[in-house]
Amino acid sequence: MEAFVPTEPPTFEQMMLPHLDAAYNLACWLLRDQHDAEDAVQDACLRAHKAFGGFRGADGRAWLLTIVRNVCYSRMRQNRREPAAVAFEDEVHGSTHDPAEANALAWHEVKGALLRQALERLPAEYREVIVLHEIEGLAYREIAGVAGIPIGTVMSRLARARQKLQAELLELTGKGSP
Amino acid sequence: MNCEKIRQLLEANADGELDLVGHLELEAHLRACPECARRAEGIRARRNALRESLPRFTAPPRLRERILAQSRAEAVAAAPPPRRFRTGWPLWNLAGMAASLAFALLIGFAWGQARSRANSIWEEAASAHVRSLQTGHLMDVASTDQHTVKPWFAGKIDFSPPVTDLAEAGFPLVGGRLERIDGREAAALVYHRRLHTINVFVWPAADAPLSPGRRAKNGYNAESWTHAGLNFLAVSEIPAAELDQFVGEFRKKTE
Repeated sequence: MEAFVPTEPPTFEQMMLPHLDAAYNLACWLLRDQHDAEDAVQDACLRAHKAFGGFRGADGRAWLLTIVRNVCYSRMRQNRREPAAVAFEDEVHGSTHDPAEANALAWHEVKGALLRQALERLPAEYREVIVLHEIEGLAYREIAGVAGIPIGTVMSRLARARQKLQAELLELTGKGSP
Repeated sequence: MNCEKIRQLLEANADGELDLVGHLELEAHLRACPECARRAEGIRARRNALRESLPRFTAPPRLRERILAQSRAEAVAAAPPPRRFRTGWPLWNLAGMAASLAFALLIGFAWGQARSRANSIWEEAASAHVRSLQTGHLMDVASTDQHTVKPWFAGKIDFSPPVTDLAEAGFPLVGGRLERIDGREAAALVYHRRLHTINVFVWPAADAPLSPGRRAKNGYNAESWTHAGLNFLAVSEIPAAELDQFVGEFRKKTE
């Protein structure tokens, strides 16, 4: 393994701007409003900039997403738009329960607009694991870092989120709950 | 593993979170057990639907500009530690509002006078990777078929890069294009990992073989090796461990 020889420490722009789309996408899905998302990302970048001198990690994306997530959650709390309903379910279902089956038929026919609607109906904690994993392609370990939860919880939360998403989808298509 | 155990691991397997041994064991079970295979198919259908149909919001240009402006204002107001911004700002002012990320990286890469040739190759490759993502110029030939990608290079370059699909290992081949690395034509093979892109640059080692190694810079990882007279340099934003896994699979199939 060849050692990384730093020439100059990377600047804030070099480290963070590549991940602006990821940050904006997460904020859009969490706040469900593109205008709010812009403000939140700008706010998050300002905080990131102030804290950047102390940033020593290698993963700028995870770091920026963590800050964006925190900003979005405090905005949601201020607006009281999100009930905090998830902690309990994590406890009950743990990581060992047998996840409900993914219904291949339901998923083969799904349309984008409907899927978006179904995802927007999920609690924020479920939306974020779906967005981080399915859209941004983050691994469990990275999601654990961003959301500040253990990897086992990422796994069970993702399973619950997918299950709920399927239930919402079936409800929206008028096929009832599975 | 019994069916119950397998079913608990199906999601993790589809998510690429099982280790190689667990993955192989599970795939062997799926070939033998229609019921578990049916469930795995459901998971695959769902994953495809999510990845194809969920929109990814992209930051509007004005947001990017606002953040750049804000960060410049911050830097001036807060007078940050001089070592970080000492040389960067005059260049940035010249670049102005329209400076794209690629430009930022190139400027970043242009710093430092005394750098070895090897260093500049790494940085060229990293820039080429970033550029390919930015301009949408990812592929000249888009194909998941190695038998289409490989002939495409024939006649365009004077060497024949090994082309192999790694879809089974979770790294589908999506295409190829031409690049310039180290002052000569290089083949770029494009692979996907979930929604991320891996560029593998290939060019003749001739009398300048690339020393094997790994690097991480600005959130990008790179890994290099040499085989059969060709230099290989893989660059991606995926974690180093995953890139290493990719390189392992690539070499297994091509060497």
